[in-house]
Amino acid sequence: MIFNSLPFFIFIAVFLPLYFALKGKARLLLCLAGSYFFYGWWDYRFLSLIVISTLIDYLVGLKLDNTDDFDQRKKLLLTSMVINLGFLAFFKYFNFFIESFTSMAESMGVTPSWNTLHIILPVGISFYTFQSMSYTIDVYFRKIDVEKDFLRFATFISFFPQLVAGPIVRAIDFLPQFKKDRQFEWDRLIAGSGQMLWGFFKKVAIADSLAPFVDQCFAAPGGFSSLHLTIGVIFYSFQIYCDFSGYSDIAIGLARVMGFDFPDNFKTPYFSKNFSEFWTRWHISLSSWLRDYLYIPLGGNRGGGFGSIFFTCLFLLLSIVMTGWWWLLILYAVVAFAMNNWMKKDNKNKTTVFNYMNLSITMLLGGLWHGASWAFVVWGFLHGLYLVVQRLAGPYWNSLLDRLKIPNMLQNGIAIFIVYVCTCFAWIYFRAPDFDIANQVIAGIGSLEGFSFGTVVNKFIVMKGFILIFMLVGVEILDFKFKFYKVAIQSPAFRIVSFACLLWLISFFGSFGANSFIYFQF
Amino acid sequence: MKKIYWILALVALAFIGDRLGGLILKKAAEASQFRYSRLYNGSASAEILLVGNSRGLIFYQPYIEEITGKNTFNTSYNGMPIDLSRVFVDDYLQKYPKVEKMILDITMCDRINDQLIAGFNFYTPYSKRLSKLIEEKQETMYYGAQFSHLFRYNGEIFLRSLKYTVGGDDEDWLTDRVMNDYITQNVVKEAPYSLNYKNRNDKADTDSLYILDQLALLVANAKSKEIEVHLVINPYYPPFADKIINLDSMKMDVEKLTGLKVKDYSKAVTDPKAYSDYQHLNKYGSRLYLDLLKKDGIL
Repeated sequence: MIFNSLPFFIFIAVFLPLYFALKGKARLLLCLAGSYFFYGWWDYRFLSLIVISTLIDYLVGLKLDNTDDFDQRKKLLLTSMVINLGFLAFFKYFNFFIESFTSMAESMGVTPSWNTLHIILPVGISFYTFQSMSYTIDVYFRKIDVEKDFLRFATFISFFPQLVAGPIVRAIDFLPQFKKDRQFEWDRLIAGSGQMLWGFFKKVAIADSLAPFVDQCFAAPGGFSSLHLTIGVIFYSFQIYCDFSGYSDIAIGLARVMGFDFPDNFKTPYFSKNFSEFWTRWHISLSSWLRDYLYIPLGGNRGGGFGSIFFTCLFLLLSIVMTGWWWLLILYAVVAFAMNNWMKKDNKNKTTVFNYMNLSITMLLGGLWHGASWAFVVWGFLHGLYLVVQRLAGPYWNSLLDRLKIPNMLQNGIAIFIVYVCTCFAWIYFRAPDFDIANQVIAGIGSLEGFSFGTVVNKFIVMKGFILIFMLVGVEILDFKFKFYKVAIQSPAFRIVSFACLLWLISFFGSFGANSFIYFQF
Repeated sequence: MKKIYWILALVALAFIGDRLGGLILKKAAEASQFRYSRLYNGSASAEILLVGNSRGLIFYQPYIEEITGKNTFNTSYNGMPIDLSRVFVDDYLQKYPKVEKMILDITMCDRINDQLIAGFNFYTPYSKRLSKLIEEKQETMYYGAQFSHLFRYNGEIFLRSLKYTVGGDDEDWLTDRVMNDYITQNVVKEAPYSLNYKNRNDKADTDSLYILDQLALLVANAKSKEIEVHLVINPYYPPFADKIINLDSMKMDVEKLTGLKVKDYSKAVTDPKAYSDYQHLNKYGSRLYLDLLKKDGIL
């Protein structure tokens, strides 16, 4: 079931009154049944995966609570991770690995007879798997108490507002909230509805209006002018932002109406002045998950060890296999030798190198989390590269700007622009169906052939798209600079006018084809 | 109690704003020089009626008027399906009786496009035929537009009409764009192209049957009003035309059904510079084509 569809509105109209009418266990049971119904509406067969993940992590949690034996605890954690990641690997990455290994074997002159399978990707598997794993890891490290109430735990894993596309809410933040019976609160209804309306506006009015133009650009980029393709990429950057943050807004708003508080998942990411800041503003629940459960365990900015070396070697090897450029092996060996010598000179150098390795690994795996495709790996690689380059060149860049005596405001503007352009460049690989198309888009933009508005096809969609983007950016600037929304929402008159405006805008600009959310595929 | 007032105030404001906004947009649409606005506001009288989809837009009206000395009205629109076209033609012929000729590009019979039909929702107050068609084809959109008047104006078509409210006339939709070398050379790589039309003999293909029935009714209505009807196939870039596998079968079906001969100009314009893409002539190409139509006595 998707938020922007009639079945969802009927579902919620029935669910919410019942939810507030019930209390205690009955309410939890309703929540769980509602969540399974919500998910099963798409494909009930895959409910079994959620149930198995839930059961495994619940039992592992109980066992972890009952033992202090280090080895046994480790085995339990490993069991949970193998099963959870096993499901993810099979449903999401099986064909990808088969194809990659086939390609590797072929590049060695062997033709294997491995076949790919027709596997349906269960919606939201990456989200609930990470949510479930975070619980077990936190219990293992004794950061949270074990949840003994199965009903409560199962509801935490499958809570429908954020089940299929996040935000990924950690057990430490979410589970305690189930312990209190929530009363209906008028203020929560208003605030939650406002956020949902804003989310619907972003999804049905902006993202879905930009989608046809973007689809056309990435279907056959060869036929379009440089400016047309540039607009296509700009539109995609806003399409994916509005699509995903719109979903998050609806999920967070709905949870708020139900009495739960979720952390923000997006905070005006395109106003970021550097890439580290970007990742504290874009898909915050995933980036903080990766930071806490991958980057820091790898060593973070304090150094590294086996994990850092293992993943780095793995990715380097895969890059050789996928490109078929065996000479890269010599290049990597030379670089590794030089690095090793440099690291030996000073321990600080060693920390720096490991830090960059950890950053790159985190971003590469973050890219791979999105989907089983090398395009996502390239997207992650680019973001890893941006972060490394930023750390290397940042001090020189800042001193250059200071030397040129560029005013702060202009400095910020330049920084925001550079981050935005680099982000858009990475989006090309994220969106393109294959590398060939991505390269065609980049070549088309770079050619500057036909960089005039006359060459743009579908000018009305472009006009509508830019009107909507300006509205969004305008509201976000007000919110970013002056915390506009939080202040204004206090006034009842403003609330009425703003809600009515959103309804009018959705009615006038919205696309009502019940288009799916982009992040459902992840 | 205060909260009830709050909800009532929100509902009232949303409703009033919707109706007021709808009224303002209605006035803007009525004042537009957009072809369909003109059709319904009574300022579209012409002797030559042109019918097609985006390929019908190559009937470059200023040039037709220059070489024939007659007024034209073009009902063509990007992706226009024949059932919607029939509504506009029937409405037009009812409102403007002095039409002498109708030229229709039959390649518009290659699709059903119910999505586009809903985009014309804002003309429903002026046409019962259009209301009925939208209600039949896009029920949710139709009732959505009854519920919210702003929703009636949701879409690219209204934005286009707004452009012609602000200024400019609606008779020149052609561009000067020329196919770039990449496109010209890549035509050989194109897979065989099939118009989204099968065969009238294929009884399972209800879409094609429906489309042809709509065309037959449209032509019959025009003929009953003693209008000279010309069915044509507008030019494709010839190497691309060679890739189309079912143009001939469509032509034969149309001829059999309407009793009219279809004049095939699919490969009549050979200059690559005359095309903005494989399926559409540019302004220069349109002039070449219209000269041919004039020479053959169609114009």
